[in-house]
Amino acid sequence: MPRVLIVAYGNPLRSDDGVGWVVADELHRRLASPEVEVVRLQQLLPEVAESVSRVETAIFVDASRDGDPGDIRCQPVAAPPARIQFSHQLSPAEVLGLASQLYGATPQALCVTLAGECFEHGEGLSEKVAARLPLLAAAAEQLTKKILAGPLASSLPSQEDEAAS
Amino acid sequence: MKQGRTIVIDPVTRIEGHSKITLHLDEDGAVEEARFHVTQFRGFEKFCEGRPFYEMPSLMARICGICPVSHLIASAKACDALLAVTIPPTAEKLRRIFGLAQVVQSHALSLFHLSSPDLLLGMDADPAKSNLFGVAEENPELARDGIRLRQFGQEIIERLGGKRIHPAWIVPGGVSEPLTEVNRDAILSAIPDALGIVERTLEWFKGRMENFREEIASFGNFPTMFMGIVKQDNGLTFYDGKIRIIDAAGKVVADALDPKRYFDYIGEKVEPWSYMKSTYYKPVGFPDGIYRVGPLARLNVADRCGTPRADQELAEFHELQRTAVLSSFHYHHARLVEMLYCVERMEQLLNDSEILSQRVRAVARPNALEGVGACEAPRGTLFHHYKIDEQGLIRWCNLVIATGHNNLAMNRSILQVAKHFVRGNHLTPGMLNRVEAVIRTYDPCLSCSTHALGEMALRIELLSPSGELLDEVARG
Repeated sequence: MPRVLIVAYGNPLRSDDGVGWVVADELHRRLASPEVEVVRLQQLLPEVAESVSRVETAIFVDASRDGDPGDIRCQPVAAPPARIQFSHQLSPAEVLGLASQLYGATPQALCVTLAGECFEHGEGLSEKVAARLPLLAAAAEQLTKKILAGPLASSLPSQEDEAAS
Repeated sequence: MKQGRTIVIDPVTRIEGHSKITLHLDEDGAVEEARFHVTQFRGFEKFCEGRPFYEMPSLMARICGICPVSHLIASAKACDALLAVTIPPTAEKLRRIFGLAQVVQSHALSLFHLSSPDLLLGMDADPAKSNLFGVAEENPELARDGIRLRQFGQEIIERLGGKRIHPAWIVPGGVSEPLTEVNRDAILSAIPDALGIVERTLEWFKGRMENFREEIASFGNFPTMFMGIVKQDNGLTFYDGKIRIIDAAGKVVADALDPKRYFDYIGEKVEPWSYMKSTYYKPVGFPDGIYRVGPLARLNVADRCGTPRADQELAEFHELQRTAVLSSFHYHHARLVEMLYCVERMEQLLNDSEILSQRVRAVARPNALEGVGACEAPRGTLFHHYKIDEQGLIRWCNLVIATGHNNLAMNRSILQVAKHFVRGNHLTPGMLNRVEAVIRTYDPCLSCSTHALGEMALRIELLSPSGELLDEVARG
């Protein structure tokens, strides 16, 4: 039974938006363990809440539009917003909210993001993002190992943690 | 002088894709006209020209993230026709299972995630709560059931096709890999749970219908024809058969039409105010040749389902009205009956003695220059029509999509709902939600419906505040 679920999501046909998928492949190789499950999704749907409800920690890996291209950030996932207009996709916070509401589960959750430069049609990553890919994979790997090894709370960043400069 | 006003609902929420609705009011504030504008633009028919035909299933699956499997099936069937092969029986059964799994997940998305807020919380519910989270708060079991049922469908697609979205397992001539015993047993083990979910949701839904008498009476409740593919014995099917059309009285208008000759009896019209084409039954003409497709139409044209529980529910469904069941509100009900059929039928197919056969693909070179593939997608009848050259490159492509078949009916439904519920001087969220909700009954997939590029008529009108035409530019 996995303890950590890594949810890498984005659209691999939208250039840097696919960074999560590339990292997922790398993490799948580096973190091969029954305690870790890595999934690749195009977007977060309600079904993810059920998967998240079954683990101790969920790590969401995504491309971000915020920050300078190449910026890597690791943040705890905040509580869901008061007003939700669900149509087809959810935010990590909304996934957590559903996991709590429907399954009574309150796993720890983190969001690891890499700011993208190009979100146009295309299968490749921009140079800046590609150059930061090893750091993103390393950050997610270290975070997962830390979570698996130690007391959960102490391994999580309190507010916002710049994983790499 | 009093002037008319226009109410715009933009975007329409909880549907697949992007659209807007305009309601034109007369000078007294009553709804005079309503239009459903599909505002997104694709281009699949055009940009596939020049591509090798065997790429088509994978290319066409990209039309939609909700029903890629239907496009895969229709496309692969068109390619089978280009190869001029009969695919192995096991491949056909596996394709059927694949398609049925997709219907379950797509119908579950429509019913549980998009429409259950209206059905559970009511049409006048606080818009801030009228979503899946509101459902989770009010009836967590219903929300969990929706999630589980969609997972069920998605997991089957993943087990067969290797991934949940845009799997490329269906190929010209059959499928690329046989079913393994492990996957068959895993799917079979999940069937009782899925069946239980559909059964209790059906009971829940039937118990709720009493609360929606006014909506049943006004949500697309008008006479049209209904069209769907049925088996040779007029039974429900999603994969293959003949086209059957009935009228509002339930009488057969056309039977045993060949899906490969769809262009003989289905016309397509482009309207200047939408990227979605409107189809009509040619012998009657436009717009009187209006017909509906999808769950409501399929249950109207089918005499039987062919599985025990679904047959019971179909008989009950047919009792809703002595003629054809006309109200589009009953699309929801029909969706549930179809999910029941799909789960039962998958169990039958998975228990077939040949289902693990290794013979799943016929290999051939192109033997025909033109091919048509048709199937029933979750939202209705789907046609793919290709022409290739001697090198096997696509030279022409036409796609007739379920949502397009329903375009005329959707516009008329919006007008009916708007006339009934909307009064210009007293707008409420509940009124506007009903206008959107009638669209949701059809579960339109606008990504699918706006695939065309090229011969699109375009008209730009410049109107004065009083409605006088000042200038006009037209092309196409």
